[in-house]
Amino acid sequence: MTVLTVAWRYLQGRRVASALTVLSIALGVSLVIATTLLTGGLRAGFIEGTTDYGLVVGAKSSPTQLVLNVVFRMDTPTPNISMDIYRDLKDDPLVEVAVPVAMGDAFQGFRYVATTNTYFEAFPWRRRTVTVAAGRLFREDSAAQPAYEAVLGAEAARRTGLHVGDRFYEGEEMAAYPLTVVGVLSATASADDRAIFFSLPSFWEMNEVSRGMDVKPLTAVLVRPKRISDLPALHRRLNVSAETQAVFPSAVLLSVFNVLGIVEEGLAVILAIVAIVVLLYLFVSMYSATFERRREIATMRALGARRATILSIVLLESAALAVVGGVAGIVGGHGAAYVGAGLLAARGGPQTHPFAVGTLQPLTLVAVVVLGALAGLLPALLAYRTEVAENLAPLS
Amino acid sequence: MRRCRRPCGWRGATGLAAALAALYVATLAHGQEIPRLTFAQLGDAIRANQTVTQEIKSYAGKEVEIHGFIIPAGPPDLSFFLLGRVSAVGNYCCELPSGQDETVYVYAARGMTIRYDPLRVYKVRGAFEAGPVADKAYGVSFFRLRNARVEEAVGARIFKLGDAPPTGR
Repeated sequence: MTVLTVAWRYLQGRRVASALTVLSIALGVSLVIATTLLTGGLRAGFIEGTTDYGLVVGAKSSPTQLVLNVVFRMDTPTPNISMDIYRDLKDDPLVEVAVPVAMGDAFQGFRYVATTNTYFEAFPWRRRTVTVAAGRLFREDSAAQPAYEAVLGAEAARRTGLHVGDRFYEGEEMAAYPLTVVGVLSATASADDRAIFFSLPSFWEMNEVSRGMDVKPLTAVLVRPKRISDLPALHRRLNVSAETQAVFPSAVLLSVFNVLGIVEEGLAVILAIVAIVVLLYLFVSMYSATFERRREIATMRALGARRATILSIVLLESAALAVVGGVAGIVGGHGAAYVGAGLLAARGGPQTHPFAVGTLQPLTLVAVVVLGALAGLLPALLAYRTEVAENLAPLS
Repeated sequence: MRRCRRPCGWRGATGLAAALAALYVATLAHGQEIPRLTFAQLGDAIRANQTVTQEIKSYAGKEVEIHGFIIPAGPPDLSFFLLGRVSAVGNYCCELPSGQDETVYVYAARGMTIRYDPLRVYKVRGAFEAGPVADKAYGVSFFRLRNARVEEAVGARIFKLGDAPPTGR
């Protein structure tokens, strides 16, 4: 009978205790994996989904609200700015591209984004190319004859079940202005996947207030300068103005990451405590098992088993529990991250990758096995030092 | 063993002192190896015909250090950003940065992790490039740092009342 077989028999001998130990290790590891995947994924999702435009120009308000709403379609829109600001920026010699954006209501939770076709244009500096998967882009209509044509992001189309040619509206107020789907975009792994795009004239006509306005409103203007080195000057000029604020999207995200970093530090402390509790549980489990087996160990020793063999049996048993718990925890962690990512996406959060595999998984498994073996070291030493004569004495 | 204790202790202390001295000298030498350029030097180096002086060109390809404010004009992983003489946010204390002669294009080394603070001066070290170059994504620049590493610049220079403040630093 090999050392491995003895260790396996020992584990089988206390199935319930072994299963509970494996479960506690698996839960602890799941928590570590899911938390790491979700926090890392959140950060990566924001980086992947951000805009390539250097500045977001909007009304004086919270810069975070402006970027989260205009770029990530989260939070509520900031107050309006006038269309004149867009015209001035479009004609500015420092500016290469200016794109007007007006944020509206939503259809089944997917935000209306009114803009021009420039929003979808490919430029050398754009990381993502927006392509039409079905149909076409909306027509650049006039205020006199709004076309009410809509282009759906990939996820918006999939989740609403709308197809090219379908007409839709939400709320009785909008019944007089149904939108017609003329196109569906291919997936971009950004908030554009969850948006419904249409033209600004259609937006203004659908909106009771803007319908009567001479100078039409916008939520923001996305700006790309000809030279990135001109960004600070543009940024300063637009911020000194009493009407507008200009925001670097990356600066807002980096501030969000700073807050996320504090949360991650707090989570790391909690996860460390969880790891200690799990290790203590494994230690107590192995210790009590070894204590109960003193007579068996003494018998094995009397039959010729060496101390080193006894030590390795207990260590092997502890490591086996850690391996099974670790693997189950990694699988469970990915499952929990998948559920978390789904909840996050349903609430309009950035896309995360719950099945991303990297160095995290092998490192976690190695750490769990090493710590598991360490937790079993003291019980193993107890077994190693078991005296034959003392423990084979009659129980009475 | 007992006889050896005293000489061994002395030997240990001497060794430690020598190691500390070597570390100090190495730090000094390391600090002296990397020249520091200021925005004043960079601004003065640009000539009317869109060229830069030979003096500033002599740093090209070498590792240099520039202190400034991070302007996150690129992606939020800070793989690219502008380094400016003044902060892009704040209470507008200073003149506007006027373009490419007042900013350095920084292409950071991979895996950079810093806590971004728009009002903090950072120490950026990287391979220096001078002269106008048009980047497909970011447009024309005069000065660039490639494969750059960023640290928070700590220990602002303190000078006594009556002393002349350090120029350009």
